[in-house]
Amino acid sequence: MSAGMAKVEEVFRDRSKRARELQAEGKKVIGCLCTFAPVEFITAAGLVPYRMAGSMRKPAELVEHHLETIACSFTRSVLDLGLAGDYSFLDGFVIPHSCDNIVKLYGIWAQTVKHEYGHFVNVPHTTSKASLEFFEAELNVFRKSLERYIGREITDEDLHRSIALHNRQRALVRQLYEFRKEDPPMISGAQVTRIIGAITSLPVAEGNELLESLMPEVREGRYVNKKGKAPRLMIYGTGNDDVPFVEMVEQVGARVVVDDLCHGTRAYWFDVGTAGNPVAAIAKSYLEKINCPRTYRQSPGTHQEDLENRFGYLYQFAQDFKVDGIILYVIMYCDTHAFDAPDIVEYLKSKRVPVLYLEEQYQTSATGRLKTRVQAFLETIA
Amino acid sequence: MEGPREKTTAQKSTETSKRVRLMVKDLAQKAHEARAKQEPIAYLFIASFYDDILRAMDIVTVGTENYAGLCAAKMVAEPFLAKAESEGYPRNLCTYATCGLGFDAMRRDLGGAMPPNAPDGGMEQPTVMLGTGMMICDPRYKWYQAAQRYTGAPLHVLGLLNPSHYYTHADFREFRDYYIRYVMEELRGLVEFLEQRTGRRMNWDRLSEVVDLSEKTIKVWHDTYQLRKAVPAPMPTEDALSAMVPGYFMMGTQLAYDFYRELYDEIKYRVDHKIGTITDEKYRLLWALSLPPWYGLVIFNYFESRGAVFPIEMVYHPPPPPQIPDAVTDPIERMAWRFYDAMTQRYEKARNHTGDPWVEWFLELIEDYKLDGVVFHQAMTCRTIHTGQLHQMNILKKHTDKPVLLLEGDIVDVRNYNEEATHKRIDFFIEILEQYKARHAQ
Ligand code: SF4
Ligand code: SF4
Repeated sequence: MSAGMAKVEEVFRDRSKRARELQAEGKKVIGCLCTFAPVEFITAAGLVPYRMAGSMRKPAELVEHHLETIACSFTRSVLDLGLAGDYSFLDGFVIPHSCDNIVKLYGIWAQTVKHEYGHFVNVPHTTSKASLEFFEAELNVFRKSLERYIGREITDEDLHRSIALHNRQRALVRQLYEFRKEDPPMISGAQVTRIIGAITSLPVAEGNELLESLMPEVREGRYVNKKGKAPRLMIYGTGNDDVPFVEMVEQVGARVVVDDLCHGTRAYWFDVGTAGNPVAAIAKSYLEKINCPRTYRQSPGTHQEDLENRFGYLYQFAQDFKVDGIILYVIMYCDTHAFDAPDIVEYLKSKRVPVLYLEEQYQTSATGRLKTRVQAFLETIA
Repeated sequence: MEGPREKTTAQKSTETSKRVRLMVKDLAQKAHEARAKQEPIAYLFIASFYDDILRAMDIVTVGTENYAGLCAAKMVAEPFLAKAESEGYPRNLCTYATCGLGFDAMRRDLGGAMPPNAPDGGMEQPTVMLGTGMMICDPRYKWYQAAQRYTGAPLHVLGLLNPSHYYTHADFREFRDYYIRYVMEELRGLVEFLEQRTGRRMNWDRLSEVVDLSEKTIKVWHDTYQLRKAVPAPMPTEDALSAMVPGYFMMGTQLAYDFYRELYDEIKYRVDHKIGTITDEKYRLLWALSLPPWYGLVIFNYFESRGAVFPIEMVYHPPPPPQIPDAVTDPIERMAWRFYDAMTQRYEKARNHTGDPWVEWFLELIEDYKLDGVVFHQAMTCRTIHTGQLHQMNILKKHTDKPVLLLEGDIVDVRNYNEEATHKRIDFFIEILEQYKARHAQ
């Protein structure tokens, strides 16, 4: 393994290590949940955004007394880690209004895990003009709240610099995904999951350096799995931020070449505009460009047009990455995704893309039962 | 909701709330007539706060959650739930939604005819569907978004805002103006949408009258529920599950106003004459922020048979009469204030005390209604209202030693319910209440 990937493995193994080192140097680290936490503000404030994740490998236990089993199991896993002290190192946390489960998590987190800073960003569910104006006002309040915390102003210049850094990171991740268009892909799905897990635990500039150091290694073909032909898959879903599921899918003989996940393309397939008012630009891109069922897209007309408008990008991914099938992996009790699932299945079928729909608890993502279903799916598309 | 009249009657149910069943039937009838005359019909969520707009534009509404509750109470929801499952909607989604989606899917399959055994003649095909984002729950826009495949009706989602109940660290004065501005713009957007899609024009003078009437209705509804503080309890929760229908599905109508006036008079008479719900009232309980099992409202009778009554409940409660500055006269602005105010009333208090506005409300009700314990019901498929209950209990326990019970079930899907286990839990809880009261009597 070359230096870049070795570093990824090291960072991913102990995600909070670098954050704690930085704290020892006097930096403050802010936990962020979900793609809708506007990290640009945190970087602009000179703070380190740290993406909070769950753990598919650890059964949720402490959470039993705090959050019901009917809550989405990803949220429960994150809270469980918080209650166990895994996130005690954070100086603060920022939770956006992504979905009902995340909103609940904010209230519980604020009173049980506790950090010196906490903020909830209310994100509208629609993209109307009024929603955009509202979101911009809400982001300005977030900015003021951070200013109070750090004791200085966050200038437009700070924000522009931060936007450029985060856009750079998004561009680098997209570049990394380009290598997956090859057949065989030049990097595996599990490796990409680790890379994203690693860069989201580092200050954005350090994450960018890590990505830059990786590019030549990937380009040279050091991580290509040349073992013959294998079905190329896309994974669609929610907080799939840990490796067991992707690993399992790849171990049973598929290649995960692209995704539509919160810890994947959703966070990187857009840029924040660089001209004009930076807050308005952030509001606009988060609301209009992040593809997540939690943001309502008005139907342009017929049902078919609605499906095209909402899920056309999935088909585009499928074509660009020459996908043989898609796994819809919906975490159990995730309402926003589950309501969309029949529409997505209908749409993809109309496009003749094979689909496997899985609804599972976040923690049991790699169990034998699931494995059998994935294997059966692979046989049907072989 | 009309369920309790089908399955259970409190020993001294109010006469006024018995009228609700007929009112529900009339609502359905209005929708059937509107369809026959090809007039617009809107699918609408409960407690939408903007019903006034539809009333002023004379658009008939169909309350889709209400209909699912009705199907559950009549034990006919199962085929609709099964249909939704066969369409690919997981069983654990909100069963109001899956019942509605199943119904819509069947109606579509039947070429627009009503599915067999549809109570009250079924839900009419809507002309438009109105959802909300950031208000109460995600299914309030995801459900209708999904329903488009069956109804083909255009959906309008308003970005109405619940300022987060947990937002207690922040100063709301920083927010208020842009929250209100946002809601106003969204309400104007709704009027525009309705004008385009239904051909109806807004009559702004009429809207002002409707808004006045709604505010008056909220006030008298609220005042009526203040009377329920009396001992013995003059009106139980199962009556309130009916009595909420005019307020939550008919707001802005003279009928709703008259209903609460009448209810007020009846409750006042009961209070003055010390007429209680049950003969021997031993325990006064709070029905927490939990939706009821519409298929099994007899559990309230079970409590009553053990000497326990629910004088008040946190669901289907009237909104607080809004505190609107006098200078605000524009009806849209008044509606926005009504909305904002209801969401933020306990915010300051929570900030300085428990940190949780819901828990503040629990504590107020326990004190004001002289309650001995709290009963939660975890309706499995409604995450929005029923997650966070454990957390509420945890905080509540820090501020009161009143006994707390958690029951499990659902709103619509009887498969999530075990009657025997429920009765055992209630029996055990009554013993705890007895011990608690004995301890405190000493
Ligand atoms: S998995 Fe779904 S319900 Fe859970 S946090 Fe993500 S979007 Fe929300
Ligand atoms: S509040 Fe609960 S029961 Fe009501 S529509 Fe939302 S998820 Fe369903």
